[in-house]
Amino acid sequence: MKNWNTWGIVIASGLLIIVSWVTGSDVAMIAAALIAGYRIAISAIQALRIKTISIDLLVIVAAVGAMFIQNYWESAAVTFLFALGGALERATISKTRQALSDLVAAAPETATVLRDDQPETLEVWELVPGDIVLIRNGEQVPVDGVIVSGNGGVDEASITGESVPADKGEGMDVFAGTWLRSGVLRVKAVGIGADTTLAKIIHRVEDAQDAKARTQTFMEKFSRYYTPGVMVSALLVGLFTGNLELALTLLVIACPGALVISIPVAIVAGIGRSAKDGVLIKGGEYLESAARVDVVVVDKTGTLTNGRPVLTDVVVLDDAWNEDQVLSLAARAETASEHPLAEAIINGARKRQLSVDMVEFAEPVTGKGIRAEVDGRMIAVGSADLLDHTPDKERILALNQAGKTAMFVGVDGRAVGIVAVADTVRDDARQAIDALHKNGVKVVMATGDAQRVAESVASELGVDEVHAELMPEDKLALVKQLQSRGHVVAMVGDGVNDTPALAQADIGVAMGAAGSPAAIETADIALMADRLPRLPYALNLAKRTVNTMRLNIIIALLTVAVLLLGVLFGGVTMAIGMLVHEGSVLLVIAIAMLLLRPTLRGETVVKTASLTPADAL
Amino acid sequence: MNSNNLKNTILRSDEFSCPSCVGKIEAKLRGMDGVDSVEVKFASGRVSVAHDPVKVPVPQLVAAVAEVGYKVKPSAI
Repeated sequence: MKNWNTWGIVIASGLLIIVSWVTGSDVAMIAAALIAGYRIAISAIQALRIKTISIDLLVIVAAVGAMFIQNYWESAAVTFLFALGGALERATISKTRQALSDLVAAAPETATVLRDDQPETLEVWELVPGDIVLIRNGEQVPVDGVIVSGNGGVDEASITGESVPADKGEGMDVFAGTWLRSGVLRVKAVGIGADTTLAKIIHRVEDAQDAKARTQTFMEKFSRYYTPGVMVSALLVGLFTGNLELALTLLVIACPGALVISIPVAIVAGIGRSAKDGVLIKGGEYLESAARVDVVVVDKTGTLTNGRPVLTDVVVLDDAWNEDQVLSLAARAETASEHPLAEAIINGARKRQLSVDMVEFAEPVTGKGIRAEVDGRMIAVGSADLLDHTPDKERILALNQAGKTAMFVGVDGRAVGIVAVADTVRDDARQAIDALHKNGVKVVMATGDAQRVAESVASELGVDEVHAELMPEDKLALVKQLQSRGHVVAMVGDGVNDTPALAQADIGVAMGAAGSPAAIETADIALMADRLPRLPYALNLAKRTVNTMRLNIIIALLTVAVLLLGVLFGGVTMAIGMLVHEGSVLLVIAIAMLLLRPTLRGETVVKTASLTPADAL
Repeated sequence: MNSNNLKNTILRSDEFSCPSCVGKIEAKLRGMDGVDSVEVKFASGRVSVAHDPVKVPVPQLVAAVAEVGYKVKPSAI
C-alpha cells in the first residue's frame, strides 16, 4: 500500500512529463511538478516546524523558484527526480537492513499455552514466565524455556547456525525462534519476548548499527551547518549576480544527500553482514579500530589449542614410589583445581583404574600449581617453586621441548615424580594465523604455560612472538608495551583471567561467545562460533567497511565539486544537477551494499557454536 | 509523571532512508501528552518510546508517526 503511494506518485508525475513533451503542454508539466512536489513540500514544512532546514526545503525552494521564472521543465524535473530517487533509496536501504530483518522475522508471535491442560492460543506478549507451552510437530518454539515433558528434534539454525536438528528431551533448554522438526514438547517458559537469546542477539547487532563511528559524528556536525550554509550562499550568489536560475541550480547541486547517507549505510551493511556470519561487532567506532589492528595477542590454551589436554607421561624420580602412586597422588590433589590440566591428570588416572578420591583441603597457587593434603601428607603438583628442594630440571625441560606441559609431583616438599600432559593444536589455528599474516597482522602468543611448550606450539603454527610463563598482570603489561610501540592491539581472551588486558587492548575479542551472554554484551568483537579463522575474517570485514565509508565520502564530495564546476562553466542545469545528485546517492548506497555479499569461503556459515544444556542462560 | 506507569515500546520501520526523519518523528511524539521520552535509531530502523500506555496507547503512537509520513509497526522484541 505504501509502495503504491510512493511509486504511484512517481509514475504519475513521470507520465505527465512525457505527456507534456509530446503535447508541449505547460499545464501537464506544472501538474507533474505539483504531484511530485506535494509530499516533498509537506516534509519540508514539518522539518521547518522543528526549526530544521532539510534537504526537502532546498528542493522545494528550487522547484518553486523555477516555476517563478517559468522554467516549468526544470521544476518538474527536479521534483520528479527527487521523488524517484527517494523511492529507490527507501527500497535499497531496507535491503541493507535485510541481514537483521531475517532474524527479526524469525521471532514468533503466537504460542499455544496450556491453562488447566487446555490448549489456548495467545499472543506471545500475553505469556508470563512459568507458563507451560505446547509445541507441536512443525511449529516454532515461541519462548526460551525448559522442556518439562516430551522429546523431539529442534532445528536451531536461527540461533546456532547448525542445520542438523538437535535432539532435545526432558530437562533440556530450548530457544525462541527455533523450529520443532519432529516430536512434541511441553516447555516451561523462562524467557519471553525481549528476554530471549534471539532478542538479545538482535538488540546487540542493532545497537551496534546505531552506535556512531567517529567519522559519522563529524559528518553529522558538518551537515548541520552545511545545509543552511548552502541556502545562504545561494542567496548571496543570487543577489550578487542577479541570476536567479544560477542561485537555484546551486541549491540543487549542493544537497548533501550522499554525504549524509554514506556512512550509516556502510555501517549497517558491514555490521549486518558480519552478524549473519556469527561475528558481533559492537559499533562503528569498533569497526574503525578493528580496521587499524596490526597485532593480535592470543592465549595458547583453549585458543590456539583445543584446551583439552591429555596425560602423556608419568615419570618416577624417587624409587620409593611407583608410577601408579605418583599419578594417584597428583590426581587426588588436582581434584580441587578447575584448570584444564587437572582434568587431564584425573582422567589419565581413572583410565589406569586408579581411584581418585576428592581431597578436603587444597591451596591453588596462581601460575604455579596446586598444593593439597592427601592422606596426611602435603602433596604439590606444579612448578619447582612449590617444592622445598630444588630438583633436577632436565627431565622437565626435555618434555617441554617435546611440546608437553610437565609438572613436578612433590610429597612434603620433595619431588617424587613428574606428570606430563599435552594439548592438541586446533585444526584451524594454522589457517587463521596464515590469514592474519596475509592481512599484515602480527600474531603474539601470551601464555602462562612453560617457555618450551609455548615455543613448540608457536613454531608449529607460525606465531611471530612468544611470551610464556606469564602471570595475568604480565599480559596487561605486554599489551601496554605493544601499544607504546605504536601498535593497535587486538586481544583474544577468555574474559576470566584476562580481563584487565582485554580492557586495555584496543579491541577485545571473545571466542565461542554463543554460550556466554556476558561475552556477547561486553566484548568489542564477539565471535559466536568457537573458530579462530573468524577473527581474520572480522578484521578484514572491518577494513572493507571503513574503506567503503571513505570511498563514499569521496564520491559525495567529488560529485558536488564536479557539479559546481559544471554550473560555473555553464552546461549544468537544475535538472541535470538533480539527476547527477540522485545518481550519486544511489551509487553510494550500491557501494555499501557490496559489503552484504557473502565472502566467507571454505567453511559452512555457522552462526554460533552448538549450545548444550550446560550453556543454559 | 508517575514513572511506574511507563511502558517501553519499540516501533520498527523499514522506511527510514533520510536522517531528517529523526527530528520530525521525535518532535511529533515528544509533543504528545503521556510520552515521556523518545529516541529514533536511524540505522537500525527503530523508535524507542517510553510512554503511559493508558494516556497514549500504542496504536496512537503508530498513528502519530504515520502523520509525519512513516509507517511503523510495534515489535515484540
